[in-house]
Amino acid sequence: MHIPDGLISPQTYFPALLVAAPLWWWAGREFSRRVGDEALPRLAVFAALAFVLSSLMLPLPGGTSGHAIGVGLLTLIFGPWVAFLAYTLVLLLQALVMGAGGITALPVNALAMGLVGAWTTWLLFRLLRPLQIDLAVVAAVSISIVVSALLVALVLGLQPLIAQAPDGSPRFFPFGWSVTLPAILIPHLFIALAESALTLMIWRHARRRHWLPVESTGST
Amino acid sequence: MRTPGHSARLALYLGTVIAVTLVHHPVLLLLALAVIVLLSGDGRAGLLLRAGRPVFWVLLLISSGYLVMGWLTGEPVLAPLLLINLRVLVLAVLTAWMVRDVDLDRALVRWPGARRWLVIVRGQVRLFRRLVQDYHFAQTSRTVVPATLRQRYRRSAAIGLAALDKGVHNAEMVTLAMRSRGALHD
Repeated sequence: MHIPDGLISPQTYFPALLVAAPLWWWAGREFSRRVGDEALPRLAVFAALAFVLSSLMLPLPGGTSGHAIGVGLLTLIFGPWVAFLAYTLVLLLQALVMGAGGITALPVNALAMGLVGAWTTWLLFRLLRPLQIDLAVVAAVSISIVVSALLVALVLGLQPLIAQAPDGSPRFFPFGWSVTLPAILIPHLFIALAESALTLMIWRHARRRHWLPVESTGST
Repeated sequence: MRTPGHSARLALYLGTVIAVTLVHHPVLLLLALAVIVLLSGDGRAGLLLRAGRPVFWVLLLISSGYLVMGWLTGEPVLAPLLLINLRVLVLAVLTAWMVRDVDLDRALVRWPGARRWLVIVRGQVRLFRRLVQDYHFAQTSRTVVPATLRQRYRRSAAIGLAALDKGVHNAEMVTLAMRSRGALHD
């Protein structure tokens, strides 16, 4: 789902940067308040896991493949602000160390997958937790992936409308919403199911190991 | 001639990336590509290959889809396709060059927090990668039959849990080591 550099117009990434910058600052404050130096290595472990998860290609029916995101797992363990910041760093590392994703696409990727993905996971998890906790994890993670994919599809589909040459031809990503919505959303329905199952398994494992904060375990 | 430091190279890279997205002339982008390839020094072929690999399928998918769309609608598509392909390629080569020639540890020397984070995450990623590779080799060496979809999912699950246990254990060791050296200031 990562958008590479060169497909997102400055008309998109500059406003996205303006929105993301104060949110990163705020997330940094929350990070300092909630996560001490002592927890930094553990957070790094889960950030690295998110990094690996987003590099692991999941085979999909029909021979296609896609990658997981991992932000749901970070959210369930560290909360949405820390997950947003950690996932931004994962995206930055992927861009600077692996050359995957992109620098100009970073604010868009961070907002769509990091911020919206994390908060959707968190709110749905808290909402559904009283019903059944495993269901809450699966539903929160899978819906958040679909919501993030929807946002990425909307941003990509917006490019030919806002970044045109004088003759009307596109200067960046050339396809509109009629192409981006099905092309991105349909594979991510499968990815959402696979990743939510994987997240549930890791989350249960983390609960058995007593790594989770009390608010994420369902204990009252 | 004195080469710029790693922090300056990183800043230069970030500025150039933004500048490239503001250029909309294929000739200028082609010129930029030629300059980047020329300046990148030895190992140009490897650099081009490394840059092209991650964007090849994206560009192929976009170009073929847009060509079909142009053929169906009768609109000219070659000029915008050339522009988009060149821009993505220039940025990919630029990024591959940066990944090859910029040492992030040195580039982040003025930001010790970011540097520490980078070292820990990169160490964990290497650990996870090695674990994934070990597991993959272990599985393929024990069977000549390709893994089924179910087996591949189960393998991913097993790797995830093993990596997590190993990673958390490693992180606890790192924390103890950092504390013993006074890095946590407690």
